[in-house]
Amino acid sequence: MGIEDINTMKNGFIVVPFRLPDHKALPKGKEASLHFMFARKHQSSNANESNCLFLVNLPLLSNIEHMKKFVGQLCGKYDTVSHVEELLHNDEFGLHEVDLSALTSDLMSTADANEKRYTPRNTALLKFIDDASINNCWNALRKYSNLHAKHPKELFEWTYTTPSFTTFINFYKPLDIDYLKEDIHTHMMIFEQREAQAQEDIQSSIVDEDGFTLVVGKNTKSLNSIRKKILNKNPLSKHENKAKPISNIDKKAKQDFYRFQVRERKKQEINQLLSKFKEDQERIKIMKAKRKFNPYS
Amino acid sequence: MATSVKRKASDPNIAEGHKKRSTQASTTDRAPEEDNHNDPVTNEPVVPEQGNGDENDASDDRDITVKNTTSRRNGRATATESHDIHIARETAELFKSNIFKLQIDELLEQVKLKEKHVLKVEKFLHKLYDILQEIPEWEEKTLAEVDSFFKNKTVSVPFVDPKPVPQTTNYKFNYKKPDISLIGSFALKAGIYQPNGSSIDTLLTMPSELFEKKDFLNFRCLHKRSVYLAYLTHHLSISLKKHKLDSFLQIEYSYFDNDPLLPILRIFCSKPTSDSPSEYNFYKTRFSINLVVGFPYKVFEPKKLLPNRNCIRIAQESKEVSLPATPLYNFSVLSSTTHENYLKYLYKTKKQTESFIEATVLGRLWLQQRGFSSKMSHSGSLGGFGTFEFTVLMAALLNGGGVNSNKILLHGFSSYQLFKGVIKYLATMDLCHDGHLQFHSDAENSSSSLASKYINEGFQTPTLFDKSTKVNILTKMTVSSYQILKEYAGETLKMLNNVVQDQFSNIFLTNVSGFDNLKYDLCYDIQLPLGNYNDLEASLASTFGSMERVKYITLENFLVHKITNIARYALGDRIKFVQVEMVGQKSNFPITKRKVYSNIGGNHFNFDFLRLKLSVNPAECEKLVTKGPAHSETMSTEAAVFKNFWGIKSSLRRFKDGSITHCCVWSTSSSEPIISSIVDFVLQKHISKKAQVSNNITKQFHNFLPLPNLPSSASTSVLNLSSFFNLKKSFDDLYKIVFQMKLPLSVKSILPVGSAFRYTSLCQPVPFAYSDPDFFQDVILEFETSPKWPDEITSLEKAKTAFLLKIQEDLTTNRPTYKSFFTRDESIPYNLEIVTLNILTPEGYGFKFRVLTERDEILYLRAIANARNELKPELEKTFLKFTAKYLASVRHTRNLENISHSYQFYSPVVRLFKKWLDTHLLLGHISDELAELIAIKPFVDHAPYLIPGSVENGFLKVLKFISQWNWKDDPLILDLVKSDDDMENSLETSIGAGSELDSKMMKKLSERLTLSQYKGIQMNFANLRNSDPNGSHLQFFVASKNDPSGILYSSGIPLPIATRLTALAKVAVNLLQTHGLNQQTIDLLFTPGLKDYDFVIDLRTPVGLKSSCGILSATEFKNITNDQAPSQFPEDLNDLSEKMDPTYQLVKYLNLKYKNSLILSSRKYIGVNGGEKGDRNVITGLIKPLFKGPHKFRVNLDCNIVPVDDDNVVLNKEAIFHEIAAFGNDMVVKFETD
Repeated sequence: MGIEDINTMKNGFIVVPFRLPDHKALPKGKEASLHFMFARKHQSSNANESNCLFLVNLPLLSNIEHMKKFVGQLCGKYDTVSHVEELLHNDEFGLHEVDLSALTSDLMSTADANEKRYTPRNTALLKFIDDASINNCWNALRKYSNLHAKHPKELFEWTYTTPSFTTFINFYKPLDIDYLKEDIHTHMMIFEQREAQAQEDIQSSIVDEDGFTLVVGKNTKSLNSIRKKILNKNPLSKHENKAKPISNIDKKAKQDFYRFQVRERKKQEINQLLSKFKEDQERIKIMKAKRKFNPYS
Repeated sequence: MATSVKRKASDPNIAEGHKKRSTQASTTDRAPEEDNHNDPVTNEPVVPEQGNGDENDASDDRDITVKNTTSRRNGRATATESHDIHIARETAELFKSNIFKLQIDELLEQVKLKEKHVLKVEKFLHKLYDILQEIPEWEEKTLAEVDSFFKNKTVSVPFVDPKPVPQTTNYKFNYKKPDISLIGSFALKAGIYQPNGSSIDTLLTMPSELFEKKDFLNFRCLHKRSVYLAYLTHHLSISLKKHKLDSFLQIEYSYFDNDPLLPILRIFCSKPTSDSPSEYNFYKTRFSINLVVGFPYKVFEPKKLLPNRNCIRIAQESKEVSLPATPLYNFSVLSSTTHENYLKYLYKTKKQTESFIEATVLGRLWLQQRGFSSKMSHSGSLGGFGTFEFTVLMAALLNGGGVNSNKILLHGFSSYQLFKGVIKYLATMDLCHDGHLQFHSDAENSSSSLASKYINEGFQTPTLFDKSTKVNILTKMTVSSYQILKEYAGETLKMLNNVVQDQFSNIFLTNVSGFDNLKYDLCYDIQLPLGNYNDLEASLASTFGSMERVKYITLENFLVHKITNIARYALGDRIKFVQVEMVGQKSNFPITKRKVYSNIGGNHFNFDFLRLKLSVNPAECEKLVTKGPAHSETMSTEAAVFKNFWGIKSSLRRFKDGSITHCCVWSTSSSEPIISSIVDFVLQKHISKKAQVSNNITKQFHNFLPLPNLPSSASTSVLNLSSFFNLKKSFDDLYKIVFQMKLPLSVKSILPVGSAFRYTSLCQPVPFAYSDPDFFQDVILEFETSPKWPDEITSLEKAKTAFLLKIQEDLTTNRPTYKSFFTRDESIPYNLEIVTLNILTPEGYGFKFRVLTERDEILYLRAIANARNELKPELEKTFLKFTAKYLASVRHTRNLENISHSYQFYSPVVRLFKKWLDTHLLLGHISDELAELIAIKPFVDHAPYLIPGSVENGFLKVLKFISQWNWKDDPLILDLVKSDDDMENSLETSIGAGSELDSKMMKKLSERLTLSQYKGIQMNFANLRNSDPNGSHLQFFVASKNDPSGILYSSGIPLPIATRLTALAKVAVNLLQTHGLNQQTIDLLFTPGLKDYDFVIDLRTPVGLKSSCGILSATEFKNITNDQAPSQFPEDLNDLSEKMDPTYQLVKYLNLKYKNSLILSSRKYIGVNGGEKGDRNVITGLIKPLFKGPHKFRVNLDCNIVPVDDDNVVLNKEAIFHEIAAFGNDMVVKFETD
């Protein structure tokens, strides 16, 4: 079985090949290079995600326009009609993989976050306007995927969006100050509203089962209270040995009042010395095994 | 001799037995009266650090031990345990620490001679003894008769220069049976295994009847010895044939310890050819045997051979001039009479001192690793202080040594204490200029009158004087050799006193002298015009007359002495010490030859070329003026000497303080240290006009540093930091402006954190060179604390930007000369809202302001707490990035800036290292801070080497360190403090000069890591490795006080990149060690190996960025600044982007897209490494090993794939290449795949 014969993967994904355009710097092979996208009908309880195709491995810098063009080409070829609405969850560079804003805020409800969709990298959802559209497209894709084996020449050639030199240097351009001001202004407004809302929610009395009203102080966000809670999350202290804090009682107690305390302490010291000695011997053994004692190496 | 060999062979058994009995009791049995000898007034003897416990305590402890052990009656385990406790206690007192003792034990075990080998060679020694006995005695012969005897023989008489002539030689030569005995380490059983083999010294003492009273004069006894040796050699070679030993035994002449007055016969074996070699073939043992011909003890009056006597009488024109002293000759004659005496002396001391041999072995290793030996140092190389001198010194110190003859060492000392005592003595007592040590080698009983004594009177030559034999043991040592020894002893003493780090391997295991360019800062090869002897002779002959000949014996000695003196005088305090080596010097020659080289033919020297090796004093090396004596009406002798020495270079100058002084003025250069020009000048002037001094290595390394487009940058020293200071000055102005602004929250601090503030940016700051990636220097702005900062990151960033907008507004209205704009900052992953304010100063520098609030850290931590588990690692990385950029950067910058003033060469070295990293495409993966920390290792933790004093030395040490760093097992723990000397100086000045600081005070003020801090860091490392034993997640653990976690700057480096760094350093060091430093090898160091990658993409940008990065091209006239370089900022700040590097953005996005399957590398500094115009870059790709094979098809595979069957997929390389090509579009000029 060659690659050409594979039109559907075991788990139901249709293989969608594209021919790739030549590039002056790339050596030209005998056969045209192909890109393979994988598609499957998406099933989800989420109403937002109905009529979607689940796509894996989209070509570089794909956007909705590319998809529209492709579906148009496809429908044209197989004489059918299908309309694409939008491309969801396409995060090619993983910039939105982590939503720091949500994670750093107490205000945005965490319940939300659990429901939030996490699509794997290199995948996207292609949303069609209706049921018919997706079915038409699906059927056309099935036919198209068979082309690879029989008429490879008829495969569509993918056209990349190629960023120009200017695209790259534009990253260095200064931000427009008016835009920046406006952006900050609107954002801060929204934030303040949200803040006020949240404050209100907390302050409004929460009555629990027993009929008691939970009272929340205004100062829940003092830095110290937060700090205590999350300080153990610091990855820098991950590998530190945590020392037990000395309690006040221990601090005051005399350690050398009774004779037995002195004796105990000395015993302990000797045991420490001994264990350290044993440890050292072990270390030497390991070092010896690693030939750490050769002055001529 | 047979008996003597046997007698000595039986000794070790006795010693062994003695040792076994006494190991357990060695300290407790220390005689109390010996303790009383410790005189604290001078040179307190080595006191064990931990051993200052209270007496009562100690006895109490012992009780407990006993109780402890007796409670668990008679169990076997108990017995060993108590034994262990005993050893543990004892070693803590006697040695630096337990682990140190165990390490010493292990090391001694490691270097022990193999018993089998000793037996083998002893068997031959017995045979040799018999053969030597067979040699027939001779009749008295005249020189003419001797000549005719050897005329048809293969053996030549190894006469020393000057060869005697029959006409004037009226004494007789003879051979009578010698007295044979073993001497040296082998006889003392102090020999150790050495991979290159060691020699056994056998002494043949000529009978006294062969000498007359005055034979010590004018080489007479030496010539007699030469004939004696030749006769012996002649008969020995016949006997060897007779006994059928000649098939594998080889004999040749050699000079004992390189002393040209002392020819000896060397016997060694060739590799056995048959499978069943002769029973006498000791080839495998790697021993060789030296037959040393000695004179009977006290055959000549020792007083007449004192170092200040003349024993070579030469004809002289006027009787008034007294003949010069002949110390080298005298020593050679006198020490030939004392071999056996010293053997006895050392043997006696060994018997009295249990750990004597062990300490000797430690001393031998220590000396060897530093390149010291007993060889003559007068003909170059380190020498004059080998194991013999070490042991004699140790013996002398066991019998006194203080100014009041107080004992420095005690017989009961452990090997560590003995060793440390000798090192301390060497480090702290001057035996050359301020004083000397005298001792008695034949003291029968240690009565106080015969005790060793330090005398406060120096002879300007290293002196360890034996009152009994009148020998100065250190005669073979030159002053410069002694200075180096003293320096190393000082360094070692510091290591021995270091209780924080384990210095064992630095002291004993690391070979410091393996590679000249690591040991010394600058090396110059001096080619003398050897072919034209006469030319050189003409210039030398005037100075090397008969007077000098009797003093220095050989022309080589004279030359070395002269060059050393010239270098010392000319360079003064620019250097710490100087050493001259004769490369290609030989000391062995065939028995058919009279001496090691012939007078006939072109080469008249016993060397190929000279190498001048310097250790630089970084603080003084680049000063412009060599100051001489003050000017006076009548020329002082000093001034005359100065003028005469410098010739045309000397001039009179008036200084700011009004003084007029003779001096020489030098000019700095970006490609050469001043020392190079001085060395060049003085050697040409004083040695030979045709002397070729070459040091292209330094030049080549210097030229690798990008030359800034600044006025007269070509004549600016690499140590000159003025370009950085200009930037700082511009910042200070801006700082004041911002501080005075009226803002809703007042400014708390403005902290510079950019690399130029700590002098480590690859390119020096050049005004308006805004294409340089380091042009915008990071600055962190903090406002006074406020509870009102938003409690959510995006809003927080927006709020920060609002403040920056206010600053910008203020600046635009009130300071029109300043320009400013905002850009988005991507340094913290996933935080897309950071905006920085970039300010361009009228001086042409750029600063990038970012705001830090007290809430940031909390928010990032909260994100970790709130995140799903699978996201946590990403968020932890984000937190580390934030900490590195905003918090630790402040400490890092402040710390490095502060200490780099103490390590002058750090700045150029770290910049060269960064260039190297970028050449090899690694700088994109390794943060600036990590590179800086790695590069500072050879400075702050320089042991066992010295602090680098040149660019190449520092750079090579960085490479050497990386090549040897086993990061899997070893953390890099850096103590980021100034060098000790600088610390002491600064303390002295701050507290008041002359105030005496006791050690406790020093310790308190010291910012060094304490033991507990150090242990804590080590513990962090151990814990880290517990979870990641192979270092596949984090390779480089680099910790300091600023970052005890050790992971801040090094997490997130891909494993292949880390291993590549190590591999590249290994290859580089290997290359240099096998082929040496030369133009090709250095060029190779900076040539990237692109073959190792899976694909390589050549990029070219439309605009070259070299000149706009502020770098001068090599082709341009270096004294004219480049016109193309921008001299102002564009009117429209949007135009700035036209001269920015687009490849950086391309690579950034490619990395984001393919981070799961590929590792992409490229150059960060396109202006430096991007070809002549700075318009070229490459992207190299490595496919992660995981993606080289097929995978089951899953939707979360996150890579571009092609199906292989209906279940499996592989990486679609073709498609990826097309994508990359399409992405890079016009910039991609070549795409290489395999």
